[in-house]
Amino acid sequence: MVLAVEAKRLSVGYEELEELLWAVRGVSFEVREGEAFCIVGESGSGKSTVASAIAGILPPHAVTEGELRVGGRLVVKGNERDYEGVRGHLVTYVPQSPGASLNPYLEIGDQFYYVLNNLYGLSRKEAREKARTYLEMAGLDPGAVLDRYPHELSGGMLQRAAIALALSTGAKILVADEPTSSLDAHLRLQIVQLLKRLRSEVGLTLIFITHDMLLAGVLSERIAVMYAGHLVEVGPTKEVLRKPLHPYTSMLIECVPVLGVKRPLKAYAGEPPNLSEAGRGCPFYDRCPFRLEACASEIPPVKEVGESYYVACWLY
Amino acid sequence: MNASRARFNSAVGFLDLARRAWKRSARLRVGAFLVGVVVFMAVLGPHVAPHPSDGWGVVPRNAAERAGKPPCPEFPFGTDNLGRDVLSRVLVGARLALVQITLVVSVSLALGLLVGVCAAYYKGPVEALLNYVAEVFLALPALVVALALRLALGQGLHIVVASLILSWWPWYARSSYIYARAVVEMEYVLLARLAGVPARTVLFRHVLANVAPPVLVQAITDLGSVLLEASAINFLGIGLPPDAPDWGVIVQNGFRYIVSMPWVSMFPGAFILITALGFSLVGDSLREELDPKMRRRWKLWF
Amino acid sequence: MAEGLRALRRRYVEVLRDVSLSVSRGERVAVIGESGSGKTTLLKVVLGLLRPMKGEVVVLGHRIYEIPERERWKVTRRIGYVPQDPFRALNPRLKVADIIAEPLSRLNLSESEKEERVRAAVKMVQLHESVLDYYPSRLSGGMMQRALIARAVVHEPELLLLDEPTSALDVSTQAQVISLLNAIQEKLNCAMVTVTHDLAAAQYLADRAVILHKGVVVEEGSFSEIVRNPKSDHARVLLASYTLGVSEGPLAPLGAT
Repeated sequence: MVLAVEAKRLSVGYEELEELLWAVRGVSFEVREGEAFCIVGESGSGKSTVASAIAGILPPHAVTEGELRVGGRLVVKGNERDYEGVRGHLVTYVPQSPGASLNPYLEIGDQFYYVLNNLYGLSRKEAREKARTYLEMAGLDPGAVLDRYPHELSGGMLQRAAIALALSTGAKILVADEPTSSLDAHLRLQIVQLLKRLRSEVGLTLIFITHDMLLAGVLSERIAVMYAGHLVEVGPTKEVLRKPLHPYTSMLIECVPVLGVKRPLKAYAGEPPNLSEAGRGCPFYDRCPFRLEACASEIPPVKEVGESYYVACWLY
Repeated sequence: MNASRARFNSAVGFLDLARRAWKRSARLRVGAFLVGVVVFMAVLGPHVAPHPSDGWGVVPRNAAERAGKPPCPEFPFGTDNLGRDVLSRVLVGARLALVQITLVVSVSLALGLLVGVCAAYYKGPVEALLNYVAEVFLALPALVVALALRLALGQGLHIVVASLILSWWPWYARSSYIYARAVVEMEYVLLARLAGVPARTVLFRHVLANVAPPVLVQAITDLGSVLLEASAINFLGIGLPPDAPDWGVIVQNGFRYIVSMPWVSMFPGAFILITALGFSLVGDSLREELDPKMRRRWKLWF
Repeated sequence: MAEGLRALRRRYVEVLRDVSLSVSRGERVAVIGESGSGKTTLLKVVLGLLRPMKGEVVVLGHRIYEIPERERWKVTRRIGYVPQDPFRALNPRLKVADIIAEPLSRLNLSESEKEERVRAAVKMVQLHESVLDYYPSRLSGGMMQRALIARAVVHEPELLLLDEPTSALDVSTQAQVISLLNAIQEKLNCAMVTVTHDLAAAQYLADRAVILHKGVVVEEGSFSEIVRNPKSDHARVLLASYTLGVSEGPLAPLGAT
């Protein structure tokens, strides 16, 4: 079984004002080829940083520890990163706001050309053909889109175009940052259906970040929950959502307003900590209703509690 | 979420800005030191000058024997063609230099801020009128205005100061207008108006308070530039009279003897440079502190 | 009667058409719309900032557009408005205490009375008093939102207008803010109008919903009515996007389980 992504004690930090802040602290997880994997968390959880690390777009001033393998290739080892031949070839990225990956000064067709020419040396004609294929795959009419500028397209079309562009690189691992958050409600369903279809058509490994638990439930097979840079729970989505083990995961699920169901929203006190407030022990200590003594002084180790199911909590 | 917090940092008050920059930037410290030296000279100069009357431009009685001496222990900066001690002249000149630039920048700043902020807040015909007026003044070069004033009003400090104010204020007006346009659309201004806060209070508490810091930083850098322009006007003899204790004037005095007595022009010229450099360094590092986007995220050797 | 409008339009580009809305004291209503639906325009109209081309706007008993602009504050100051983006709604040069106290400036209160009201407001939004001395730069997103709410209620308004109150918040903070908004509304018995695109969150903040699409009211009624029996296509699409095909499990919407 080939692993699309394998992280071993991966940590990522940023140097901010002469201080080193760790956004991701020692996370380990695996993503199998062809799997739909979702990373959920709130602000400061480190989920975007993990996604950037996988996609190969960490800024130069980032500091890393641990190991990360993408598509079988070692891309992060200690503080050295090498994404040559991986970024763009094996893994590709779709950012949160639709069209943020599209150059506002270029027509869509040209953007495909520049990317494909850079990666594979394709000519304009070849690139245009490829663009057609992928735009159609993404549910767009190439004739209506190829000669347009990004500002002429609607949000939904932009998101599809961005996905098409990302896929045209031939990469089999797609990292999507909040793929539906900035979209209007009626587009959300469409994009979800698109992603599902692409997965089966292309054999895509989909890794996406979201704070939307419902989306996670619908689109992913395995889910990873992050809090304050730590990975607190990772396992099969259906099981995790039905019976969350980590107290934070239960909190997340209980806080989601669900349409049509008038169950009372449980309001937990406190807020996710910011990067500079790293204490000892479990980061969720302040807000956890099941606090134990051990939780205050030591970070709970990751324990296997089922098939590909891990939790980091002293309760287990 | 942390990136968004950084959005607020730049907009806090001037003093906090200065404090942060001081800690972080070596350039600020160097600049502040230079400026400090000049301020020191301005305050104490006339009192510590070895030959104060020379400093004020009076020709000494034993002029003939003193004239044209190169720098030596008795006259560390040498003497000019009329026998006056150059060191004393430079020390006394510091005061006039600072007076001129402080007057010019503070008045232009006040006027420019007021005009820019009002134009952005009141919009409509007021905006159009104020912008038009600023534009007209923007086209006037200080030198030409100085010449005109000289012909009309005769020589003196007022020529230099007035001509510079008239040509500088529109820059601040335009700068303030641009910042104010963004501030005026902020919801905190709307909330204040909805609550019934009177327009004048809104202008000061909300608009001016947020527009002033970046414009003020620009003004600090300008202190150096204004000195250069003022010295140029005085050098050309349009502003202050030839005996005045002003650096630009002293440079002019020494100009005819530039080959035989270079020190006469050199020393005041060097101090003009030092002062301008000092303010420029201070202003630059403050501006860098203000705009987080410009801050470098990686370590270079400097 | 807290608010009421009739048919109205804007110049040149029709942003709202034939929109009628009325909210009474003590009622909680949600205006649901996507970007471009006209919900922001509707807010501006109610705040006295945008005169409609046709129709009547009565706010807090006053025909607000018959009052000259300079005097409208006498009506708007009885409204509590919480704008969408906290970064643009807090003056970074003012302390939180001064920001919250600003609506009290036109009331003839003594300094100590003002201080007391400010403290009470801060308590109502579950913020610690120490926050009063901070500048906005020290506040987190959730704290900023609460400070804005505190400012909106310090003068005990009769109408509370909320623009996307939960959209910028983390899920856990959203739940906190929703419960405190409801507590405040109950205490003040004010009319509360929430403008949002989040239908699920809106159901916790309102008893009645009005759905706007491209400037027209396409659906209105209680949440259970809308969920069970959507009458318009747009409402149907909207509901579908909230289910994403899920029909069972802990997050299943629309009354399943």
